[in-house]
Amino acid sequence: MSLNFESIVSDIISDSPAGEIKEIYNDLITIAGENAKQTILEAIEQYNIKNALPIDVNGKSVIISEYNRQGTKYFDPKTSTSFSVDHLNRTGLDIESNDVKLTTSQELIYDSLENYIKSNFPGEVAFGLYPIPEEENKIAIIIFGNKYNQGSFWTGDWKSKYVYDIEEKKLTGSIAVQVHYFEDGNVNFEACEKVDLNDVNDVVESLSQVESKFEKDLDSSFTDLNEKQFKVLRRKLPITRSKVSWGKAIGNYRLGKDAAQGK
Amino acid sequence: MSSEGDKYDAALDLLRRLNPVKINSNLQNVINLEPTLAEDLLSSIDVPLKISNDPGFSNREYLCCDYNRDLDSFRSPWSNEYFPKLSDDVLMDSPFPSESLRQLEILCNDSFDVYRDLYYEGGVSSVYLWDLEDDENAEDFAGVVLFKKSNKSKNHWDSVHVVEVVSTNGNTFQYKVTTTIILQLEKDDSESQKLLRLSGNLTRQTEKTLSVDANSLEQTHIAHVTNLGVLIEDVESQMRNLLETVYFEKTRDIFHQVRNGATIEDQLNQTAHAEVIKGLQNL
Repeated sequence: MSLNFESIVSDIISDSPAGEIKEIYNDLITIAGENAKQTILEAIEQYNIKNALPIDVNGKSVIISEYNRQGTKYFDPKTSTSFSVDHLNRTGLDIESNDVKLTTSQELIYDSLENYIKSNFPGEVAFGLYPIPEEENKIAIIIFGNKYNQGSFWTGDWKSKYVYDIEEKKLTGSIAVQVHYFEDGNVNFEACEKVDLNDVNDVVESLSQVESKFEKDLDSSFTDLNEKQFKVLRRKLPITRSKVSWGKAIGNYRLGKDAAQGK
Repeated sequence: MSSEGDKYDAALDLLRRLNPVKINSNLQNVINLEPTLAEDLLSSIDVPLKISNDPGFSNREYLCCDYNRDLDSFRSPWSNEYFPKLSDDVLMDSPFPSESLRQLEILCNDSFDVYRDLYYEGGVSSVYLWDLEDDENAEDFAGVVLFKKSNKSKNHWDSVHVVEVVSTNGNTFQYKVTTTIILQLEKDDSESQKLLRLSGNLTRQTEKTLSVDANSLEQTHIAHVTNLGVLIEDVESQMRNLLETVYFEKTRDIFHQVRNGATIEDQLNQTAHAEVIKGLQNL
């Protein structure tokens, strides 16, 4: 396989909605043939890590990311287990016990995150809290929520990802959402925002406020885009409020307009 | 090995799943993976329309797509010439509508230009017609009606109506219209590092049999433009409503099925509200 082929496949995979990766895998195999399998699977692995996607580990969703990678395996500090991943099916394999644990104060944050998540994400949701190696003051928090309904031609994802510096009381990260609707078409909604907060004492309270504001802002942006931007692209009806009278006399509109403009 | 048909279907499925903002590069990527799909995909996948200027007609703007393309040149509906100019050798085989169809094309361009002005208040329109090959009935034709309106740098609406007009019997014709509207709306707030973007396309097909009562070629042409005009005006109105529903209601509903901070609070409010009403009714 050529280098060019690899970059095309990785381009396509990195552009995929998270909930449709299997369909895209099948399409690529049909187009490029079974020989392409390894290249596609490698691109999916990179994609899963980069997008911090949840893996089903014995019924529990564990997010994988650069923060919980150990060699070829991943670990879950909450349950102190490690596992390898079937990236196409997003399931955990070779589950073993591991010695990475959350500290008592991390456990408290974890519990409070769990409460927050239960009441704000009505679909599927996974979250992770990871100590950052070599940086004792910092933890990483990742939330991945989704709702998929391919039978009705749509998928939707939420991802927020933060680093909290306990000493400096700084919270930095980003929120990104994507909705894909593809019945007789292909409509994509995406929104993202950077987060950068100081004086954060209660990390879960702060991120909950940021995320609620993000949601509220989106609602008003939708209204704004509809009522302002969409309307100026194409009117619902001409300014005359009636439909066009087609036929030979259609040129009269132009005469009328020229007359109104004094031409 | 998969058959050509399977590969084509897989390519269409892939392209309706990948981010529509990158339709041009996605299309190119799929063609690079399987070059034999190029012709079929280029003629069936609608991409945002390009605008060119017609140097043979005071540089008036016209729209370019696969339907008015020959090699790397595009025929203008205003001067009926290809730009960049093609050599005489190439022009001998370049597609042009027959003389009578060109008259209808001119009439269509005039009429849809008025329509464009009324609904879009700006933008560009172009209509291209072609004779149906190997068709016994010389009255039959096909064509494409195009509109493009942009505002700001990234917001745009592109309409592509591919039409086929076939005589059914005597003075009735069947009009088949396949409409794709590509719509992109963006709110990019680089200061607060926020982006919100709605983009994509929806496609619908419409069919109608209508009569063309005419005693002359001119009257026939006017009847065709009227029928096409009414049909396309209806389709665009319906599509505009559909786009509004899908872009602003459907995607927002789905988003709130993923995250909804209001649910529990709202439910409490509703309960409180219901109790107030109940209280009032008991007064």
